[in-house]
Amino acid sequence: MSNVEQKMNQNLSRNIDTNVKVIQSLLKQNDDVVERTFYLPNQQGNKGTLFYVEGIVDTDKIERALKDLMYTSSANSNAVQTTSTESNLAMSIQTHMSHNSSVKVANTLQEGINGILLGDCFCIIDQSEQGLIFSGKGGEKRSVEEPMAEQVVRGPRDGFTEDIRTNTALVRRRIRDVHLKVEGLELGTKTKTTINVSYINGIVKESLVEEVKQRLNKIEIDGILESNYIEEMIRDAPYSPFSTVLNTERPDKVAAALLEGRVAIFVDNTPFVLVVPAHFWDFLQASDDYYLNFLTGTFIRWVRYIAFIISLTIPSIYVLLTSFHQEMIPTALALTIASGREVIPFPVLFEALVMEIIFELMREAGLRMPKPIGQAVSIVGSLIIGQAAVQAGIVSPFMVIIVALTGISSFSIPNFSASYSIRLIRFPLLIASGTLGLLGFIGMFFLLAIHAVSIRSFGESYLAPATPFKPKDQKDLLIRFPWWHMKNRPELAADNGIREANEKPAPPDKGNSETASNKISDEMNSDANTTSTANKKDASVQRKKSKRIKRKTVKLKDLMKDKNDEDQKSQDNE
Amino acid sequence: MIRKLYKLVILMAIMFILTSCVGKREIDDLAMVMGVGLDLVENKNGEEEVKVTAQIARPADARGQTGAPSGQTGEPIWSISATDKSIFGAIRKLENLSSRRIFWAHSYVIVINEDLAKNGIKDIIDFFIRNPELRMRTWVTVTPDDASELVSSLTGLEVIPGQSIEGLFKYSDITRAAPRSQMIDLHAAYLSDATQPYVARLKLETNELSNQTPEQGEMYKNVTHAGTGVFKDDKLVGTLSAKETRSLLLFVENIKSGVSIIPCAENEEDVTTFELVHEELKVIPDYKEGTPEFTLKVKTTGKLVETDCAIGFDDDQKIKELESNIEEKFKKDINKVLDKIQQEYGVDILEAGNSFNNKLPSKWKEMRVNWDDHFQDATFHVDITAEIKSGALLIEPTESNKRADE
Repeated sequence: MSNVEQKMNQNLSRNIDTNVKVIQSLLKQNDDVVERTFYLPNQQGNKGTLFYVEGIVDTDKIERALKDLMYTSSANSNAVQTTSTESNLAMSIQTHMSHNSSVKVANTLQEGINGILLGDCFCIIDQSEQGLIFSGKGGEKRSVEEPMAEQVVRGPRDGFTEDIRTNTALVRRRIRDVHLKVEGLELGTKTKTTINVSYINGIVKESLVEEVKQRLNKIEIDGILESNYIEEMIRDAPYSPFSTVLNTERPDKVAAALLEGRVAIFVDNTPFVLVVPAHFWDFLQASDDYYLNFLTGTFIRWVRYIAFIISLTIPSIYVLLTSFHQEMIPTALALTIASGREVIPFPVLFEALVMEIIFELMREAGLRMPKPIGQAVSIVGSLIIGQAAVQAGIVSPFMVIIVALTGISSFSIPNFSASYSIRLIRFPLLIASGTLGLLGFIGMFFLLAIHAVSIRSFGESYLAPATPFKPKDQKDLLIRFPWWHMKNRPELAADNGIREANEKPAPPDKGNSETASNKISDEMNSDANTTSTANKKDASVQRKKSKRIKRKTVKLKDLMKDKNDEDQKSQDNE
Repeated sequence: MIRKLYKLVILMAIMFILTSCVGKREIDDLAMVMGVGLDLVENKNGEEEVKVTAQIARPADARGQTGAPSGQTGEPIWSISATDKSIFGAIRKLENLSSRRIFWAHSYVIVINEDLAKNGIKDIIDFFIRNPELRMRTWVTVTPDDASELVSSLTGLEVIPGQSIEGLFKYSDITRAAPRSQMIDLHAAYLSDATQPYVARLKLETNELSNQTPEQGEMYKNVTHAGTGVFKDDKLVGTLSAKETRSLLLFVENIKSGVSIIPCAENEEDVTTFELVHEELKVIPDYKEGTPEFTLKVKTTGKLVETDCAIGFDDDQKIKELESNIEEKFKKDINKVLDKIQQEYGVDILEAGNSFNNKLPSKWKEMRVNWDDHFQDATFHVDITAEIKSGALLIEPTESNKRADE
């Protein structure tokens, strides 16, 4: 091992053959490493060798680089001449000969080897103590697709991919601001995974960025294969069932978070981007809330809040009512429940646990099974659980309803990691209420509540803005206020001054509508800088007007025609 | 941190396991009582004992098949009874008979036999208030019949008698044949220094025809509302009939509906029916020469729903006449009830003491000790205005035109 490191730290030798030997010894037993030898077209005819890894490079790019290095044409003959005379061969190739957009000069073997493994192409030339790294990253990539885990009805359909550059580009496409920063670092001693920390300067609190970077730099691990590796190592409450880091596949969600003063962490090779800090409520909010009418948005948000409460508490409440507090059930309902349970041989708690586990089994099996067989699971599941189990007298029909309701509710929570954590904390609640009744339920609920209140996410209270109560942030909690009303950024942003200066939209005054539009176009005309656009707008207004007139005349003509016809008819009758 | 977590987990496990589900009883291990009947019986030694009858629902029969097929007997209720010196003693004896734990919280109704009620119901009030399993919103009633029989007779469309008695009370504001007396009201009235308790009265009546053999005539017994039981302290002193109860309810409940039948002016046999829509009572207490005095301002509005008389709703004269007839009739009814309550029973069940206390608290302090005596001496002035607001869908009288043609 030390032998390898020694070799890696070595500087490049002037003799190409020694260099080639060292690289070969480092990269031996690798079928996918390609070595290509060529001669420069200058007077000396220096020998050069190119190394790259097949599959992670774009072969076209490599070929273009080779073309630059091997051919002389009238266009670059001067350049070739200069390389012959200049002492620093690599530098002059970089500046004069190569067309590659990001060619770099490498001084050590280590840089070169890393370049090769990252998907670039490393070129060494005889009589030069420096090598060249041509960017050649390429290979097969998944294209941008609709995110599988977070779908919306209205809203952008693009989702992150495994390629980090594509991902940052998707966000940059949304925020074209000079203040948007994408800082890079590399984590994982073996995987050398690229990590990008993104934020908007001026909006984000600087201390937050510092904290994120500090926590990331503390990570020492050999490999990072998914963003959860990082999530677990930067979490504030490592043992908590609640997740304090938001993960998302949606670039629009990341963009929105950046605009609120949060920090996004991109990890290469995974479509899941991390967003910090995250509040509890963020996991219950979907992008749809903001893309639909605010009334609709508020309504569906409430549906989700209710779904959360149902999926957390309904099984426990049913169990505690039927096995401890029968006097709390309305009489008619109590009779119905009792009649359904008449022949059930198990206690309610056991029945509930069995049903919950069967449900989880079905969900897991449906997920793991190959898609064509997946349907079979649901058929078998619904038949066995929904009918046969009830008919056989093993579970009561009420319990089936309760478990189904719980399942459906937990699926309507938009963030799947949050829905998993709710599923988890349901079980202690269920056991507590099945053994101690309402007392156990309340005790366990309070334990969970105290825990949730106590944890923080990157300095932000987890349950904010509900508790601690932040009056300014209430505009985006229970009710999603209309966009023209959300004038400030959330309190976690450094710059929570005015975000927008819109007034409530209203139609122009009735009487002056025509003159108002004229005024606008007049103003535009007078503004010398915007003449062309104003003209365009004017033209479009004109076009619209003429269209309207045309439509009117057509209508009039139709009317006239009808009338004429009628006249004709009446004349005929006479 | 990890040790703390382990400790917490172990602590939880110990708490859940060692308590071993204390107090747990599954809903299907309960015998849910739907109604309680209390009778007075004599034992072999000639001592008086309480007989408690519990009407217990069989869920599988009361609801039909909801899950897996379960044994159904076709009998939605199961009635059992036991006697002992105290109610609780009898209830404990009931447990001997029952395969499931008897659960009282869902009881709809408590029926007390009048003989028992005459001896005093203090122990009953105490027991049903003290017991944590029993609800304060249970209906309390008295009956001249056997409470055990009444509790176990099937009534109405419901399969559980308790439920049908609950239904009777639910819609009692249309018939107004009995007050809506719940345990909580009885308790409050018993504790109060100003009012005396009253409860609804139930009776068994045979008035249901068999579907198969209607020619046999009425054969099934039905529970009906039959007025009010009037208490002095905890002892039943008398009853008001269903008709008298209507006037009583004017004082103690919000009236939403009622029916009054008035003979026509032209022909005594023909009648006009007046449906009460809204009735308002304003009590103005006063104090004159050592006796309390009450002015009762009653405002009645209603509509004409049925008439044999030739009254058109546009006929102002006749409508006025009708209104004054109604006023007269109402006044007579109210005075009759007032006389009965004041002179015969001598108990204030009208909450007159309360309104007197509100208006004249200083005088009340002098009178509260012997309020029932003062109540007997009190004078009531009844002032009624009746108004017929609509003739429902008809304005013209329903008259055949054939006669006019002859």
